[in-house]
Amino acid sequence: MNRIKLLFFATLRDRAGTKSLELEVPENMTVQGLKGKLAQEYPNLSESMKSVLITINREYAFDEAVIPPGAEMAMFPPVSGG
Amino acid sequence: MNYPTIFSVTEDEIDLNELLAQITLTSTGAAAIFTGMVRGETLRRGSAQASRGEAHETEYLEYEAYIPMAEAKMKQVADEIRAKWNGIEGIAIVQRIGKLYPKTPTVLIACTAAHRDTGVFEAARYGIDRLKEIVPIWKKEVNPNGEEWVEGDYIPKAGE
Repeated sequence: MNRIKLLFFATLRDRAGTKSLELEVPENMTVQGLKGKLAQEYPNLSESMKSVLITINREYAFDEAVIPPGAEMAMFPPVSGG
Repeated sequence: MNYPTIFSVTEDEIDLNELLAQITLTSTGAAAIFTGMVRGETLRRGSAQASRGEAHETEYLEYEAYIPMAEAKMKQVADEIRAKWNGIEGIAIVQRIGKLYPKTPTVLIACTAAHRDTGVFEAARYGIDRLKEIVPIWKKEVNPNGEEWVEGDYIPKAGE
């Protein structure tokens, strides 16, 4: 298992009810796999998983990406700065 | 030549003069500055509201950012600007976060160059457009009827 940190921002933080989680995930788990796991374990998040943006170590990551050990990940909606 | 590049996410007031001084070199003869502020009243063109002369009211916007990634992406935007317009000298990209009230500047993009015909206007425009696409910052609008997160519509591509 790999230990990762997952940060939530904006609507995702509201729905998760927390700013961050420490998670144990299987080696070679993909972003898509993590989304599935979260949708199951946190029903409040399942709707958000369809349009969420995901980052690994502060770069945008996509469904097929494999999560490296010790990753800092984040989940959030499309950005709205300015 | 190492040109100045400033990128930051801050809770402090944006000091335009200070930032401009930091990106002005002895060779600089032009600066294009974009700043955005909180709009207290929004007239939505074509809406029933607007035709009755009523505006949508905003009490304040509350901004938050994924700060380390936001600053890294601001640096990336600055790099993209330099790759597109090689006459650009200094670049400053600053986003203010926290509770910001109408008329308050929230963001500043400034680019300097030797002359105005170097692409400096387009560079500043590109900077604010890209910030709104890829820099992880969000705002929640608080209005007389409640509050609502503002969501963008851009989905970054691989390598962005």
